[in-house]
Amino acid sequence: MLRSKAAIAKLGALRTYASVSSGVAPTVLSTANGIKVAATEGHPDSPLASVSLVINHGSRFETASTSGAAHYLKAFGFRNTQDRTSFRTVREAELNGATLTAEATRENITYTVQCFRDALPYFVDILGDIAAATKFSEHEFRDIAKLVKFEALGARENPQARVLDGVHQAAFRNGLGNSLYALDSSPVSTGDAVRQYAQSAMQSGRVAVVATGVDSATLAALVAESKLAELTNENAVSAPKAKFTGGQHQIYESASPVSHYALAFESDPSSASALASLLGAQRRLKWGAGASPLAKLAFTEGFAAESFSFAYSDAALVGVVVSAPAAHIKSAVEKVAGVIQASVAKASPEAVARAVAATRLDIAEAQSTQQGVIRDLSKLALNQGPLSLKTVDGVAASLAQTAAKVFSAKPVAASIGLSQTTAYVDTLGF
Amino acid sequence: MLEAVARTLQANGAFRAICRPIASTWVNLAGYRRLGLRYDDLLREETPIIQEAISRLNREEIDLRNYRHRRAFQLSLSHQELPGPQWTKPEDDVQYLQPLIEEVSQEYSERDAFNSMTSVRK
Repeated sequence: MLRSKAAIAKLGALRTYASVSSGVAPTVLSTANGIKVAATEGHPDSPLASVSLVINHGSRFETASTSGAAHYLKAFGFRNTQDRTSFRTVREAELNGATLTAEATRENITYTVQCFRDALPYFVDILGDIAAATKFSEHEFRDIAKLVKFEALGARENPQARVLDGVHQAAFRNGLGNSLYALDSSPVSTGDAVRQYAQSAMQSGRVAVVATGVDSATLAALVAESKLAELTNENAVSAPKAKFTGGQHQIYESASPVSHYALAFESDPSSASALASLLGAQRRLKWGAGASPLAKLAFTEGFAAESFSFAYSDAALVGVVVSAPAAHIKSAVEKVAGVIQASVAKASPEAVARAVAATRLDIAEAQSTQQGVIRDLSKLALNQGPLSLKTVDGVAASLAQTAAKVFSAKPVAASIGLSQTTAYVDTLGF
Repeated sequence: MLEAVARTLQANGAFRAICRPIASTWVNLAGYRRLGLRYDDLLREETPIIQEAISRLNREEIDLRNYRHRRAFQLSLSHQELPGPQWTKPEDDVQYLQPLIEEVSQEYSERDAFNSMTSVRK
């Protein structure tokens, strides 16, 4: 049965539980000591809420002496503080039915609590405790070190994650090129080292509190009552500016029968996700290869190609990960490079329209989840250029020109496999 | 009774001044300092709480503790005492384990409290 136009329009206007109210951007407030606070009310009938402490001090801020500290700091979330044991935090979260999570990206470390609305003040208090009073005791560090090591090993086992880590290293060397994970070579070996990193991280100018299920003013009042109000902004370090350099990162791996190759181009943060859709290497359809030339190529040749984009506050990467049997990786990458030069850099208006539609869908989908809303709010609060349907519409008109420029520049690459059979950037014809 | 004495000790400076010489004589008579031990080395360690507290000591403190124990065993076996200058000095006889024991026992009682709580729905 077809719905009438009016009914469809009404559907479009409906807001689902976690969606940002359309059109009205959430206001970003600042507390007395400079902590940014942003929140969206969400649907008034929903009892759900979430609150996150976002610290703009991810792995890109690490130096040679603190390499890996961001990973440890993430793992120290919700641990013993001066006022609460981590046992109590966890038990009380369980009694409230809340979920505690910690996430680290290259820019931000985020501690998130998902809970009911009425428990929100309590959890803002806990987040304040984490920021101002975590103990970083040595016996906890020993437990955490095991967890961190396990996570780092897990990431090493995943060739996709490894090759994407490698392509960041090739593209930015340090700063954004730092690994997300604490490697074996990490000099961080005591709770004190993590405490020192945390002290430079917990500067009120680097911290934001974002929430769903509450309005910004209420949240700002809660933050002002918590320990977060004690944070100062004395010796805030600024992020080293990201600089895109050229190169290739080769990880020698003779045991695996499959090789992986990441090819990445420099782009500006706002158009990165649209360009990734334009590459469109992954199939969006269950049957057939779809219309994207890269997906068609991978489908007929029998290898895997998946596009990716990473947007940061001052830089972005867009590209494709090619996975093929070790013997064929070179020809697969050369064919992919050929298709990028021949078709993607000279995209037809239809291809651009498809890419814009796909990107709009991705963004709308992300914004309809609580996690997506939290991520958008933290980018908004920390001024890291959140993506919205509006930004996509902004870059849509000139996407073909942007693609021509981005995809003809020299890319960087990272590869896992035999160095004898792999392709090298300088032979790909860019 | 003992708690009342402890409270008075903390509050009353004159009482403290009277007690101090008696206390230090008592400790010296106990004899553990002549074997190079500290008071916290004598605490009964066969309980879960003290085991946990000991596991939280850092490597250097554990090594020194083990060394003091072994030296004391050896001296005791051979019916000897350390030469006077090597006795534990009063200022070295610090409570290095007691704060950890208190921390751990607080955690244990918190755990018991949570395990036996009744949750009330408002």
